[in-house]
Amino acid sequence: MNLTHLNAQGEAHMVDVTDKAETSREAVASGCVFMQPATLALLVEGGLPKGDVLATARIAGIQAAKRTHELIPLCHALALSKVSVDFLINHEQHCVEVSATCRLTGRTGVEMEALTAVSVACLTLYDMCKAVDKSMQIEAIRLDSKTGGKSGDYRRAGYTSEAPIVTGEGDTGEVSLRERCPTAGVRVKFLAELRERLATSESFVSLDELPTSDIAGLKAVLAQRDPRFALLNEQRTLCAINQVMANDTARITDDDEIAFFPPVTGG
Amino acid sequence: MSDIKNMADIEIRVQSDAFAITHGYPETLNGRTDIGAVVSFTGLVRDFNEAPDVTGLSLEHYPGMTENTLHAIAEQAWQRWTLQAVRVVHRVGHLQPGDPIVRVLVASAHRRDAFQACDFIMDLLKTEAPFWKKEHAKSGDYWVKERHTDQTDAQRWSSS
Repeated sequence: MNLTHLNAQGEAHMVDVTDKAETSREAVASGCVFMQPATLALLVEGGLPKGDVLATARIAGIQAAKRTHELIPLCHALALSKVSVDFLINHEQHCVEVSATCRLTGRTGVEMEALTAVSVACLTLYDMCKAVDKSMQIEAIRLDSKTGGKSGDYRRAGYTSEAPIVTGEGDTGEVSLRERCPTAGVRVKFLAELRERLATSESFVSLDELPTSDIAGLKAVLAQRDPRFALLNEQRTLCAINQVMANDTARITDDDEIAFFPPVTGG
Repeated sequence: MSDIKNMADIEIRVQSDAFAITHGYPETLNGRTDIGAVVSFTGLVRDFNEAPDVTGLSLEHYPGMTENTLHAIAEQAWQRWTLQAVRVVHRVGHLQPGDPIVRVLVASAHRRDAFQACDFIMDLLKTEAPFWKKEHAKSGDYWVKERHTDQTDAQRWSSS
């Protein structure tokens, strides 16, 4: 096996890709920013001094992917056809999981672009939160999968292109004590495609924030926090209170579990 | 309608493990001689759907609500037709083309009840049970869109 960025004399050079076939290529990379639980709580609530952390980190990651060739000496400049950066809040391990997907039809792979997007999104998360937490750690930046190109497909061992199965409190058959909400309020879950579009899996809303104690009131509070939550008002978005389907006028009470999700597609 | 329904007559399973394509059949018969008809439906992962070259599928669900919803659908079928057993198994997690994804088995004394109840359960499962599919294709991953025909299929049962 050879290192393609070294020529016969062992000098660094840029690979000539003129004669390589154009194929559809995709790369997925991920990383993790570990932080204090209190920092994560502030991040989720939008209480950090620099504002919306995830939205900013997403834009930073996308911009970085487009400029990879300026940072990494022997990378080609690529016209990416898609860059997406997603976040998953992991409350158990108090970290933000960052993943980036890059795609194009071309002659070179997009692994470096995906890795750069994740790296810069992680750095931006750090920058946005460092006022309250300097002990954050950026870890496990790695390539999860790549498809297309001469070297074929790669999938990191243990990587299952995760639409994680949403587990509630503990796995099936396990009993776990639920963390009690600090003040009277409701936990709000976002499932499946909606979770990905919102880049968040869970929020907490205290009862005294609600203009009216129903689903419509909850949607209003969330939309005020972040314009992305306008998605909840789309007609196709469904809602359940304590796992029973509900509409906008359904009443909310303390400690309810509210879930928003897209139309179902099982079977 | 059967007067006595044991807990074992309705079985709902949501699992990440694979199941046999005969799942439910031997368990349901199990030496019984009062069953006159068994109708089962098995759904498989296709290698083409919205994309032509599907390489895999990830199934997400809402634990708790999923089982409750499937139970409620089976109960409705039990009320509507004269049945002797209903078994539903649905997989979650990562699946590959060719894998069985769902299986519904209905037993009754006469065939019409079993045929209709099985059809009914699948129609309601498709439109009410909180499962979501993400397909992995060579051209990328995407969430499967809901189908209008599934809604109209399910509505057939509310008008009759």
